[in-house]
Amino acid sequence: MEKTEDRAKEMQKGMLANYYDALTQAEERRTPVAYLFIPGNVVEVTSALGFLPVYPEINALQCGIKKVAGDLILAAEDIGYSSDVCGYVKNDIGLMLKDRRHPLARIPKPDLLVCNYSGCNTFIKWFEALAQFYGAEVYLLDIPYVRGGGVSPSDVDYVVAQLRELAEVCARIRGVPFEEAALERIVAQSRAAEDLWAQTLDLATRRPTPFDAYFEAVFYMAPINILRGTPECVEYYRALLGEMQRRAEAGLGPVPEERFRVVFEGPPPWPHFRAFWELFKKWGVAAVSSTYSKVGGLYDQGIRHDPARPWESIAEYAINCYTNWNWGMRSDLIRKYVEHFEADALVIHSVKSCRSFSVGQADLREEFIHERGIPTLMVESDLADPRYFQEAQLRNRIDAFFESLEHKRMVTA
Amino acid sequence: MDVGSTATKAVLLDMDGGVSATAISATGANVIAAAGRVFSEACKGAGVEDHEVSYVIGTGYGRYKVPFGHAQVTEISCHAKGAASVFPGTKTIVDIGGQDTKAIKVGPGGEVVDFCMNDKCAAGTGRFLEAAAAVLDLKLSEIGDVSLRSTNPLKITNVCTVFVESEIISHLARGEKVEDILRGVHNAIAGRSVALLRRVGIDAEVTFTGGVSRNLGMVRALEDRLALKVNVSEMSQYVGALGAAMFALERVKHGAPLPTAVRAVADAHGGH
Repeated sequence: MEKTEDRAKEMQKGMLANYYDALTQAEERRTPVAYLFIPGNVVEVTSALGFLPVYPEINALQCGIKKVAGDLILAAEDIGYSSDVCGYVKNDIGLMLKDRRHPLARIPKPDLLVCNYSGCNTFIKWFEALAQFYGAEVYLLDIPYVRGGGVSPSDVDYVVAQLRELAEVCARIRGVPFEEAALERIVAQSRAAEDLWAQTLDLATRRPTPFDAYFEAVFYMAPINILRGTPECVEYYRALLGEMQRRAEAGLGPVPEERFRVVFEGPPPWPHFRAFWELFKKWGVAAVSSTYSKVGGLYDQGIRHDPARPWESIAEYAINCYTNWNWGMRSDLIRKYVEHFEADALVIHSVKSCRSFSVGQADLREEFIHERGIPTLMVESDLADPRYFQEAQLRNRIDAFFESLEHKRMVTA
Repeated sequence: MDVGSTATKAVLLDMDGGVSATAISATGANVIAAAGRVFSEACKGAGVEDHEVSYVIGTGYGRYKVPFGHAQVTEISCHAKGAASVFPGTKTIVDIGGQDTKAIKVGPGGEVVDFCMNDKCAAGTGRFLEAAAAVLDLKLSEIGDVSLRSTNPLKITNVCTVFVESEIISHLARGEKVEDILRGVHNAIAGRSVALLRRVGIDAEVTFTGGVSRNLGMVRALEDRLALKVNVSEMSQYVGALGAAMFALERVKHGAPLPTAVRAVADAHGGH
């Protein structure tokens, strides 16, 4: 394969290095720190008052990639966390026990924990534990679950009222007044990056897709998840869109020959990311869409921030996060992806840690195979705990699945 | 060559697709040696020299450990192909091996329509029966027949291969009969296997393959649970190897019926 342009990845490295430097220096510089979760977060509100965001889920996944998650998880189990508790939670508790020494930074202590628990009730227990360990304040947002049939105006008003209260909490901690103009400026930057990222994701309709919409998209999504609302983030997505457009024009893709187009559901196994990707690459599999690359926002579905109505759009964004949608909506979305991106199959990676992601996936498999007639493969490991990755068994299932797809093609050809 | 977790099997076909020899041996710790040994034995059985075999396909967990193999195909595809050849009416396969259980739905030509496997644990597999046989001090080959003498099957609630031992010991301590315990063990596996089969859909005919299919107690337990007759044959344990040999024969006869899949797997493993 021709050497592809990889400027965005280089740019991303620099941006993330700066971010982690800022985390390391936060305590010394007395920068106020807010801990937030990724799905449906309201970082625009905390950023408007100058809080530096810390995302424990991102810290955990980085530990997975850097192969230090196993030890951190064991440290949490040593103080009594069960093997059934989410690997991200235990990774984070382990970090705290090991003096917050993360492979990329010294993670600062929180001044405020903003628990937006959209779709994951473990989030509440996670931040309650951190609040106790650090003696920090928790602000718990109550986000109504979406059961289909749209989001009612009263649900939006309910969340907006909480956001305004959160702004007051942030202002009190900082000792400065809240400025509406600062919020609008940040929201406008969030929106600009979201527009560019949504355009990029849609390029996967091309044949071949210019990028892998799972294995590469989960890297490309990092800036919008970590630095949303900053001008650097907008610049990054402008560069990425250009790069992907050039790849598409040149007919370059993530695999030498695109033989199977698939949609992925579920988080990747971070501690074995490369090994997992290789199991698919060897079959010429390219992901054309994935749900995990949307956990930071369903921007492709028109859920975007709006500087003309900042509060309401933040509320709508928080409500409409992927894991806060009911299964019927998730399943319809996946079907839409299969059709829009002309995928051959659905691959479900179920993870032991995250029940909010995985519960219902066995039914999804049945529904896609038996009712929708879409070939579906379901495999299982974990997103954080390296102990649950069984390569021989995964390989067997993946080989058998693509072998049979190939056979079907041969028979019908 | 079907190199399974427990046993290594070989089936040698002549150019007309007739079985000229079969061979089997425990896989043991040296997987490569087991493959070589069983291959030579099959050749000897057919009265041919090793080098006269024109094409070898490896299947099973040890499929990449067949150094003389030309290609690898998963046992899921091989069992489907082999079972459809032995029992052409096969629509559903239950394959119970040493450490995994598979449910496979097959199409008219023996192609895989859907499949499901047990999770990452040996519950409900041959290993579960081995554990039960060991704690009762019986041979693996005896327990099926013993279970068929049961008049009052016990309910074995544990499906964990490790914990089932203590459950069996507690039943023994209460003075329960060995055959009733064993029937319970067989019923527990049948229950798990049928649950797996339901995930792909159960359509007659159901063909039972893998090493555990030699156990008549298990055949009966499955038939009772399914309320269906289950196909088994002398070849049941060799069905994976038979399917592999059929893929090999197709390749020899028609050029490359599985070209890209086989090449992809072979390329990824240094051409073996």
